[in-house]
Amino acid sequence: MATRADSKRGATVTRLPTARNSDTGEIPRKASFGRRIRKKFRLFSVRAGMDLPFFFLVLTLMVIGLIMLFSSSYAYAYYNYGNSYYFIIRQAGFAVAGIFIMVAISYFDYHHLHKLAIPILLVTYMLLVLVLFMPERNGVRRWIYLGPVNFQPSEIAKFALVLIFAHLISINFKRMSTFRYGVLPYLLILGSIAVLVLLEKHVSATLILVALAGVMLFIGGVQLRWFAIAFGVLGAAVAYIVLFSAKFGYASDRISGWLDPFGTTVDTWQTRQSLMSIGSGGLLGLGLGQSRQKYLYLPEPQNDFIFAVVCEELGFIGALLIVILFAMLVWRGITVSLKAKDKFGMLLGIGLTVQVGLQVILNIAVVTNTIPNTGISLPFFSYGGSSLMILLAEMGVVLSISRTSTIEKT
Amino acid sequence: MAKGTTIRMWRRTAFLLAILIIGFAVVVGSLFRLQLVQGEEMQTRAVDQYLKDTSISAKRGTIYDCNMKVLAKSAGVWKVVLEPNYITDDNRELICNGLSQILGLDKADLIERSKKKTYYDVVQNKVETDVKDQIVAFKEENEITNGIRLIPDYKRYYPYGKFASSVLGFTGSDNQGLAGIEAQYDSELTGVPGRLVTAKNAVGTDMPFDYEQMVDAQNGHSLVLTIDEVVQHFLEKYLEEGVANSGTRNRACGIVMDVNTGAILGMAVKGDFDPNDPFTLSDPKEQAAVDALQGEERTKALNEARQKQWRNKCVSDTYYPGSVFKMVTASMGLEEGIISENTSFSCPGYYVVADRRISCWKSGGHGSETFAQGLCNSCNPVFIQVGEKLGPETFFKYFEAFGFTQKTGIDLPGESRSIYYDETMGPVELATESFGQNFSITPIQMITAAAAVANGGYLVQPHVVAQVIDDEGNIVRTTDTTVKRQVISNETSRRVSAMLQETATTGTAKNGYIAGYRVAGKTGTSEKIAEWVAQGKQGEKKYIASYCGYAPADDPQVAMLVFFDEPLPQGGQVFGSAIAGPPFAKAMSEILPYLGVEAKYTEEELAKLDTSTPDVLGKNVQEAQNTLQSAELDVKVYGQGETVLSQVPEPGKSIPKSGCVVLFTDEESTSQTVTVPNLVGLTLSQANSVAANAGINISISGAALTGNNAVSNLQSIPEGSQVPPGTMVTVDFVELDSVE
Repeated sequence: MATRADSKRGATVTRLPTARNSDTGEIPRKASFGRRIRKKFRLFSVRAGMDLPFFFLVLTLMVIGLIMLFSSSYAYAYYNYGNSYYFIIRQAGFAVAGIFIMVAISYFDYHHLHKLAIPILLVTYMLLVLVLFMPERNGVRRWIYLGPVNFQPSEIAKFALVLIFAHLISINFKRMSTFRYGVLPYLLILGSIAVLVLLEKHVSATLILVALAGVMLFIGGVQLRWFAIAFGVLGAAVAYIVLFSAKFGYASDRISGWLDPFGTTVDTWQTRQSLMSIGSGGLLGLGLGQSRQKYLYLPEPQNDFIFAVVCEELGFIGALLIVILFAMLVWRGITVSLKAKDKFGMLLGIGLTVQVGLQVILNIAVVTNTIPNTGISLPFFSYGGSSLMILLAEMGVVLSISRTSTIEKT
Repeated sequence: MAKGTTIRMWRRTAFLLAILIIGFAVVVGSLFRLQLVQGEEMQTRAVDQYLKDTSISAKRGTIYDCNMKVLAKSAGVWKVVLEPNYITDDNRELICNGLSQILGLDKADLIERSKKKTYYDVVQNKVETDVKDQIVAFKEENEITNGIRLIPDYKRYYPYGKFASSVLGFTGSDNQGLAGIEAQYDSELTGVPGRLVTAKNAVGTDMPFDYEQMVDAQNGHSLVLTIDEVVQHFLEKYLEEGVANSGTRNRACGIVMDVNTGAILGMAVKGDFDPNDPFTLSDPKEQAAVDALQGEERTKALNEARQKQWRNKCVSDTYYPGSVFKMVTASMGLEEGIISENTSFSCPGYYVVADRRISCWKSGGHGSETFAQGLCNSCNPVFIQVGEKLGPETFFKYFEAFGFTQKTGIDLPGESRSIYYDETMGPVELATESFGQNFSITPIQMITAAAAVANGGYLVQPHVVAQVIDDEGNIVRTTDTTVKRQVISNETSRRVSAMLQETATTGTAKNGYIAGYRVAGKTGTSEKIAEWVAQGKQGEKKYIASYCGYAPADDPQVAMLVFFDEPLPQGGQVFGSAIAGPPFAKAMSEILPYLGVEAKYTEEELAKLDTSTPDVLGKNVQEAQNTLQSAELDVKVYGQGETVLSQVPEPGKSIPKSGCVVLFTDEESTSQTVTVPNLVGLTLSQANSVAANAGINISISGAALTGNNAVSNLQSIPEGSQVPPGTMVTVDFVELDSVE
């Protein structure tokens, strides 16, 4: 594999102008230098430049996200907090801090995460149990409140899951085709986390965790028959829920609301308002800041349904551009990861990138009523300080991985 | 083993990437569908919700009588609307509690309604201004800006109550006309509601993109009816009296029409309803019958009873016109020249048509008579023979020409179609149709045909709306007289009128006679044969008593038809003319002078007219007696005094020719009383002598002046009352002819 990557790099080098050759040419030199030093005392190592396209895609999305958050939360913040800047000030603060953290983490050698994988998993378990004893809000317990800082352990769980899977797969890579090393540990970890998250009644997070686990295992080389079995079980579960939907009052209302958002049988206010917002945008949108739906029609427009306001203000063209930016981010993240130095980096990078991609797709699918309504936030856009920080930290990890990647980075 | 990505990982990642791209493509597809395909639909939905579109009610037009007296008008009230989406958990209790107290509504229900996801839930309609002020005060006190809305609205008022309700109709909760003129002219009366469009956010405060557009409401047009409040009043008064006297069980109706223009001056149905409260049964007996039932049966019966009281019998019910129709058959015969007034007929009491023996109402027959006498006698065989001579084609030609085959086109809803035989009818059908049996028409068709007989042969279109005027009083439209065709010649019209005048003076219709006004009229008593057959020709035979006439016969102005459905039989018989004639005569005797029709009295009539009592108060008794005797009045003196202290009747009051004036000459005598005797069931001369013996005066009304067989049937002061001597008691006389 190394030869293949080398040859690729070599090919790239030959294609590129000489001015850039010096950059890429530095890699082995700096890497060897870094490796020498790191072994002794340095936590951070500047082995090579981070991937600039990925970095700027993150920055671009972050900036657009902040602008849209300001626009969408303006009226809601005014009516509920008497201050139109309530959300944007907080979010912008977290974004700035988060970007610093992201850049800092990009200098952090992600290999240290091997050692942190199990501790982080254990902390995650603790938090997931702790959250069940937190005060209830809106009928669910998903948040841990630490004075001014609140966060959702399920966000951390996603990272912990991706990390532990990347860790285990990379060290047991050769035994991935066995049940004992290739399936069982992952099933146990995923199962235990999923059960804890389900206890929060957090279906969407559970879905993402399962999907991420599936992606990690798939890339990691688990035999396809296990996926066949998994899909069979999933299919049966879905069929059971659909056929006996009456038993799941909560879920069945979601489904009938999904099938007929403008009907009168169930309360579909949010979905309905979202569809009206998106539709009102048309091709070119009402213009930045011109959303009407954000005037308290669309509930909490700064959260999961922020993309509806984006569509209303920026139109199909604007929405399409943002989706393309996200797709580019995902593409870049994955290709960068593919060329990571080792399997751990590759799996970790892909896991974290796919997590962003999945959230974007599911979030837009929800606001467009393509799938039933479930709470999934839109990365870089939705309001939420702690989740933004976690997201940017994860992007920092991807950037850290990119430093080892042999991909062309400018 | 290499540290980096293996080939299988590459492949699997490529596969994953493909799936993610498909995912992005799917959501882009959704966006495309929503924004570019369904964009407009979604935008409309969205705009609808923040553009608060408040409908501003247009004021419904007023309905006036022909002298601009208000018969129906709209006045401002308020609609109380709950705006659940603006109600928060903080003020829900407060708002619902306040509203439930002010409006007297169930609080739990209000709380339930305040949780609905809507911006508009009407809590109460037609709230008067004082209640609205209470709500406004409540809102101010508690600083409630959103959650309760008060929307101006209108409520319909009918200041005269039940008056003319069958013509006026009534309106529903949304001010929509549901019956009568209100329904017929609904679109013109309604006007165009205005709109106030403002942009609001989800809690009802204004949006930053200011938008407010006002479209003024256009108030509805007003209507000026041909109905004259005074004429209508007399019609209703005597119709009601007639219903009470005859024990009519299936309602009665009456129409007064200007024969020359077709303008309806009065149209009434008894029992009717109060348009201010149309859903309440106005007849307590009907209400009791409905209340006796339960559940669905009750609902059904209630609906039927309501439909019945709303039904305008004048245009919606059909009946056999009976002998009233003979005026039409007479017109056909004269117009065709097959008979004249003096054509002689013979009536043995029946006539045989196609082996069917058809009886005359008078079983012994009328013997030999002229055609004019035949009309006076309402002799069936005479008219059967006229019909025979006309033949079915000619008969039907006129039947059609008189408008009996088509709706009159009166501007009222629910006009019924007539049921009749066409020109292919057989001889028996022709025979029975000739005297008004065996076909069903509406009262409005009958009076329209009678107007044509009266006015020189012109079939006019009846109408109740004279003018449509706009909000500012400008005339939008005037209803002109529509003459559909000339059916008979002026000459025929004049000759039939003369015969009908005779009929109403000396003939079977004399219960409709009014001294001085030259009434032309005809009675009709028809059996409800179809019903009787339906009940197996057993039990009680039901009848319809009607009278149709017009005046003056030499220059017809006004026609009137009254119609009593199922009067109670008296002594096993129904005397149609005795039931329908007096209400006709009484109403017409007030309506004709009101309309300025000049009275012309014959010598004979003048002789029988009441005169005014001379003033002899304070005079010497002897002198007073001389004065009164020279006025051809009798005198009775009570007391021992020298001068007249008081007199009955009082000076200037009317007294019949050769009536008796009682003079009181001392205090003691003035306290004297006499007992009112029974004056019912007597002939005129019997009544006169009973009254004279009792020391009272009687004023005669009804058929007594011309009738030979007139019998008194009502007295204005009941038997046994103690009254001062000389008191005037009005006695009604009717001619008791049997069914003609």
